[in-house]
Amino acid sequence: MQLRTDLTTRAEQVAYLAGALDGLYAGPATPAPIRGGRRAALRRLRAFDARGYARTRNDVAKRGVSALSPYIRHGVLTLAEVRDSILSRFGHTPDTEKFVNELAWRAFWQLVYAQLGDRIHQDIEPAKQRARVARRRLPPEVIEAATGLVCIDESLHELYTTGYMHNHARMWVAAYLQHWLGVDWREGADLFYRHLLDGDPASNSLSWQWVGSTFSHKPYIFNRQNVERFSGGEFCARCPLASGGCPFDDSYENLALRLFGVSLAELEGRR
Amino acid sequence: MNGAVVWLHGDSLSPTDPALLANPVAPAIFVFDEPFLAAAQLSFKRLFFLYECALEAIAGRTGSIRRGVVVEEVRAFAAEQQATAVHVTASVAPRFRQYVAELRASGLQVVVHELPAFVTWRGEPPRRFSSFWRRVAAEALRPTGTGPVLPAEHDVE
Repeated sequence: MQLRTDLTTRAEQVAYLAGALDGLYAGPATPAPIRGGRRAALRRLRAFDARGYARTRNDVAKRGVSALSPYIRHGVLTLAEVRDSILSRFGHTPDTEKFVNELAWRAFWQLVYAQLGDRIHQDIEPAKQRARVARRRLPPEVIEAATGLVCIDESLHELYTTGYMHNHARMWVAAYLQHWLGVDWREGADLFYRHLLDGDPASNSLSWQWVGSTFSHKPYIFNRQNVERFSGGEFCARCPLASGGCPFDDSYENLALRLFGVSLAELEGRR
Repeated sequence: MNGAVVWLHGDSLSPTDPALLANPVAPAIFVFDEPFLAAAQLSFKRLFFLYECALEAIAGRTGSIRRGVVVEEVRAFAAEQQATAVHVTASVAPRFRQYVAELRASGLQVVVHELPAFVTWRGEPPRRFSSFWRRVAAEALRPTGTGPVLPAEHDVE
């Protein structure tokens, strides 16, 4: 079936495509605020200031990230041209070197995908530690972004409404689903893949396996202190569980014991 | 019949796609993969993003965006354009390799173009990013140019 290519306004295109692709998508027919296309990609690249990247990239509130991933994933920008642009504009600094290091993660995931193909969707290695919580399916409150945890719900809400989630928030949500709720990483990865504009089989599945320790040497966990530090305290300030009942409000030692039944040293493979 | 068409897919949706650049006047096609998408049930946001990318990629040449079975639609498009060759940019996705094989089996010549390399790598990757980075860092941090020409500050929509 031939699709129209002559509509000029975004509103017309959205209304048209909603019908033309009926049956091929789930959820509301609303577009992301992030625009597709090379022109939008170049504007985003121009707008990205790499100065301070190493310090601010993990901060979910400060957003020191480039947000170029949707364009890189779909080949609208290549890794090589992004690297060249950033190094030529900002020079060789700890910030630009960290940025290029992050670009290299995508190159790495792609090489693993080239080698393993669809096997990336299965455990690549045995889990180094498994959470003690009973296994369960993806609960409705995750699908509805209504877990009651502001850091998780706002990250999920952003994913569902914009098609984007900050990388650090992805790590929190992936760890929460796997290690606190007992959800299989494939279900979480599938949820992300359906919504992320940069959803890529390799980057997505392999990152979920990295958090789960089936493609890394230890499970990734986080605590409330980490959320507070990398969100400027914003999430916790608005969270009803901040004064009691926050499942992340503990030391890493205690979390290792609570979640996995091992010491932090064992969790991290240090003994 | 000796013309060529360019097949664009979700891993290479740029007007600077190497297969497009190698064939500056060739007709181009992008197909929404109906069996895959019907099963995957992605959000509309993702599909619309692809549509916007595809519209821009085919602008200025004979272009077609379709929904259907990818290999069938590419074959039909090649026949309509009296082309015997399909140019496409490489992807590591297993589905891409399968579609290339099916197009070749149908009698079309398929020419696969490579993206500019970020780093050169031969053989299997290591199991950890840290070992990969140690081996590629020097090359990864060596620019091969100055990057694309960026729009002026006032160029906003």
